[in-house]
Amino acid sequence: MSSKAVKWGALGASLALFSGLMAGCGGSEPKAGATTAPTANGGLDTSEKVELQLYMLGEAPKDLPVIEGKINEMALKDLNATVKFNYIPWTDNTTKYKLLLTSGQNIDLIYTANWFGYQQYAKKGAFQPLDELVPKYAPKLNSFVPKDMWETARIDGKIYTVPSTYKEYTTGGFIYREDLRQKYNLPKPDSIETFGAYLDGIKKNEKDLFPLASGFNMNNYKELKVNPAGSFPYGVTAPYTKPQEMTSFWGSPEHLAGLKVAKEWADKGFWSKNVLNEKELANNLVINGKSAALMSHNPSMFNDMNTKTQAGHPDWKLAYSPFPFIKGYATPVNPIGNGFAIPKSSKHADRAIAFYEKLVTDKRYNQLTEYGIEGTNYKVENGYYQMIGDAKTNGFPREAMNGWSWRNPEYMLFDKGYDGVKEIFSQLDKISKPDIYSGFAEDYTSYQAEKAALEQVEKQYLKPLEMGLVDDVEGGLKIFMEKAKAAGLEKIQAEYKKQWLQYLDEKKIK
Amino acid sequence: MLVPTLLFFLINSYIPMVGIYFAFTRFDFNGGLFGSQFIGLENFSFLWKSGKLVELTLNTIGYNLAFIFFKNILAILFAVLLSEIHGKWFKKITQSVLFLPYFVSFVLLSAISYNMFNYETGFVNTMLKSFDIAPVNFYNTPWIWIFLLIAFYLWKQIGYSMVIYLASITGISDEYYEAARIDGATILQRIRYITIPMLMPAFFLLLLFSIGSIMKGQFDLFYQLIGNNGLLFSTTDIIDTYVFRSLKETFDIGMATAAGLYQSLFGFILILTVNYLIKKSNEDYALF
Amino acid sequence: MNTRKSEKSVIFTFSAYTLVTIASLICLIPFLLILSGSLTSNESIIRDGYRLFPKEFSSAAYKAIFAAPSPIVRAYGVTTFVTIVGTAIGLFLMTMAGYVLQRKDFRYRNRCMFFIYFTTLFSGGLVPWYIMMTSYLNLTDTYTALIFPGLMSPFLIILMRSFIRTTIPDEIVESAKIDGANDFRIYYQVVVPLAMPGIATVGLFLALGYWNGWFHSSLFINDPHKYELQYYLYNIINTMSFLADLGASTGVTVAVDIPMESTKLAMALIVTGPILLLYPFVQRFFVKGLTVGAVKG
Repeated sequence: MSSKAVKWGALGASLALFSGLMAGCGGSEPKAGATTAPTANGGLDTSEKVELQLYMLGEAPKDLPVIEGKINEMALKDLNATVKFNYIPWTDNTTKYKLLLTSGQNIDLIYTANWFGYQQYAKKGAFQPLDELVPKYAPKLNSFVPKDMWETARIDGKIYTVPSTYKEYTTGGFIYREDLRQKYNLPKPDSIETFGAYLDGIKKNEKDLFPLASGFNMNNYKELKVNPAGSFPYGVTAPYTKPQEMTSFWGSPEHLAGLKVAKEWADKGFWSKNVLNEKELANNLVINGKSAALMSHNPSMFNDMNTKTQAGHPDWKLAYSPFPFIKGYATPVNPIGNGFAIPKSSKHADRAIAFYEKLVTDKRYNQLTEYGIEGTNYKVENGYYQMIGDAKTNGFPREAMNGWSWRNPEYMLFDKGYDGVKEIFSQLDKISKPDIYSGFAEDYTSYQAEKAALEQVEKQYLKPLEMGLVDDVEGGLKIFMEKAKAAGLEKIQAEYKKQWLQYLDEKKIK
Repeated sequence: MLVPTLLFFLINSYIPMVGIYFAFTRFDFNGGLFGSQFIGLENFSFLWKSGKLVELTLNTIGYNLAFIFFKNILAILFAVLLSEIHGKWFKKITQSVLFLPYFVSFVLLSAISYNMFNYETGFVNTMLKSFDIAPVNFYNTPWIWIFLLIAFYLWKQIGYSMVIYLASITGISDEYYEAARIDGATILQRIRYITIPMLMPAFFLLLLFSIGSIMKGQFDLFYQLIGNNGLLFSTTDIIDTYVFRSLKETFDIGMATAAGLYQSLFGFILILTVNYLIKKSNEDYALF
Repeated sequence: MNTRKSEKSVIFTFSAYTLVTIASLICLIPFLLILSGSLTSNESIIRDGYRLFPKEFSSAAYKAIFAAPSPIVRAYGVTTFVTIVGTAIGLFLMTMAGYVLQRKDFRYRNRCMFFIYFTTLFSGGLVPWYIMMTSYLNLTDTYTALIFPGLMSPFLIILMRSFIRTTIPDEIVESAKIDGANDFRIYYQVVVPLAMPGIATVGLFLALGYWNGWFHSSLFINDPHKYELQYYLYNIINTMSFLADLGASTGVTVAVDIPMESTKLAMALIVTGPILLLYPFVQRFFVKGLTVGAVKG
């Protein structure tokens, strides 16, 4: 039995030791980059063999080991490096992602996205700046990504991620059952009002359906009614045409009007009274015939839903009414919607970026990691990608590695079914305008506590209102505003607006 | 013989405790754990910014007290009943069946609950409608969930506690019962004067353990069954769900640690008090 | 007197049977719902929810799972291995600890108890522990990472202590001491056989903990070949809700098939099945009355 003194002594000593080690691990400076002695060959020193650790989101495809083996064969020859592709599963992905970065584990390349906190992580110093690394060790990549795209990745003056150059749209649009519309001679949904009339017609004719899957979406309502520059948080809004004029949407007459529409729709029974506890994905509700319409989804998802619906019910037909056509313009996805960064902990930043250059710009690397092995996993017919077998038997379906970030438009192969999306994209291209919102990186350090508290108030008091579940709309909105103000809404909005204006100023957006 | 155990807790629990320091810093990757800015108690402020801290604390404690009380009573009841039942197969099967719910994950439980209680197609309401009774909108009626949550908890957990009591009953020496039988005691007397007192150590053990974590726990139960339905928060929000929802997007280490520390300190003070009181009345029942 | 007594016990027995039967039914019904759900066609589940009897019968879920069983079989192997090894080591360590901690002549007993119990109250949170496990113990992608953290818990140690204390009278230990047995001998020859019901209970809980574990897989395992069974299930059940959170504005399309509702239910049954057999097995150890023999042996 250990004696007390020894025990507590040992505890103290190990605590001290551990503290010291932990302090060291977070604050250590990256070795790579400027300190590596450049050699004649493009500046990259490949004398030492290294294994790179690459992390991305999702599940590993079945044939990953085969693909990894082939990639490593090439990488070993080209860069004297091998790569380990690691996955962060969808479940609990933010926790795991944060843990990986916080713990300072040895990671050389990691997935980033503006919707996945890229700006915040970059601001807090999780990644190494690429400004010097890329021109030096990946010159091809440097010139491949257009200058203005590199600029969108800039956070506080430095670039931390390699943007994705494939241009796509994730703009919204009504998705609805066209066959039912024709059957009951309902109006084409091309505004909130006609959409409401369509849903009304469905409810009257198909008693068992909940016409609208997952209920009301205030963001979509806002998009169509007040045309904001983006999906702003904290209830603020600024018109696309005059982004400087930021006002509070919450509590405004437009907001109240929207909530009243929601209430009216809810009372008509457009969605379940228990919509807040609905577990099923909205898409599946439409595909399986429990609902007739979805307030909004992006073109690719519409295409996907349509394919699935047709497969299950050939006599059903889905149609799509894109919001950009209603609004008159479309904004493409921000290039930092997908990307890869080099975490602070990486010891081989030079090799990592050189490898990433291969993934993007070398056709062999690129197509192998996007589509698998030609002849085994897929074949190309009339320029179209065609999977061999089906999703169950094929060990590497299209884009199974989730390599969205390193898509290279020059090497991309598309499924025939994707023509519908391309068609929509090409129409949207004609009315394309730049996205001025997504490049904005909010810094919520000064109001983090208020933000957390507000999040809560929103869920408790606003969400039920937005689903039309509160009888007294005006009273409900008043209570919500009071609670939100108590949680610090005004402070948040003021601070957010300040940062927004500063950003517009820097980017010279008028 | 104890050394490996103590070492285990040292490595697995005590050394990582340095992380409590996170609660007082604003973490950033450049500084790491000890290089980040010290900000005192600022991380704790989000707990009372919403003005809900008192409500949350009361909800949390209230639910836990109900859980502790009913769980132990019912677990003892069923353990005693089962120990008195002699049909071999009946006993074996029911014993296993009562343990079954422990294996149902909360995600599945929430699906089951939705199937039972939703307004339009739920089991219960379909039944009510067939008797011409107006359906109940469970998911819009906060008070009902106090009972439903407790019921679901008991349903899932009783089997587990029951096993502990059953094992304790098995450990009671036959001599006592033999003596009671000779004295002509009835079944109820036997239970009251022999079985129940012999279960007290196990009861106090479970009680003390539950009290220490009275501010925590059962996150999954609440989060899965209630989810993001704000209509029900007034009676169903506990500290864990509140913290989770608040930090879901930012996942701020400092604030999460701060919330955990608040729960720990509360439990710590409580357990020291209760343990002291128990020790005064009967030293054998105390934890330490 | 005699007749009244037996009458009373008849009433008691009758109500005991009734109560237990009712409780068992309540526990059983949700299982039937899951079973019937797993045998219902996916579309019918989405439209009508589950019923006690499938509205549109379909065995597609089971077919889908058994069409490609290798990940499940492998996960079964991992979980079985982890459960057996973890339970064996954990039980060994905890019976020793429990024995020492209940000895009244052990001076630091209360301090050690406090040392152990304290860990249930305070923790440093996930991050430092994660760093400890991955950077200092280097346990990423090892089975040790799945076994080590669950070996002991304060609750089970203290439960063990309490079982040993209540089932083993001090006199037996004393007499063994007088016979010249040392601590290890007493532990092995007296305590272990006597405390069998307690050890079986703790062992059961320990095994359940390992069998139900998914968290350690999610933190420390990158290699899908080393996933535990429950983590496999956990992923299947939860992937959908996480994908739903992603929303429309992310430039992400997912190539994987989102698992169907009925598949989830079928998986849940397949994963739970075998461990259900463990409990009747453990019940065999719930036998009393070895006390006398132990003193002599």
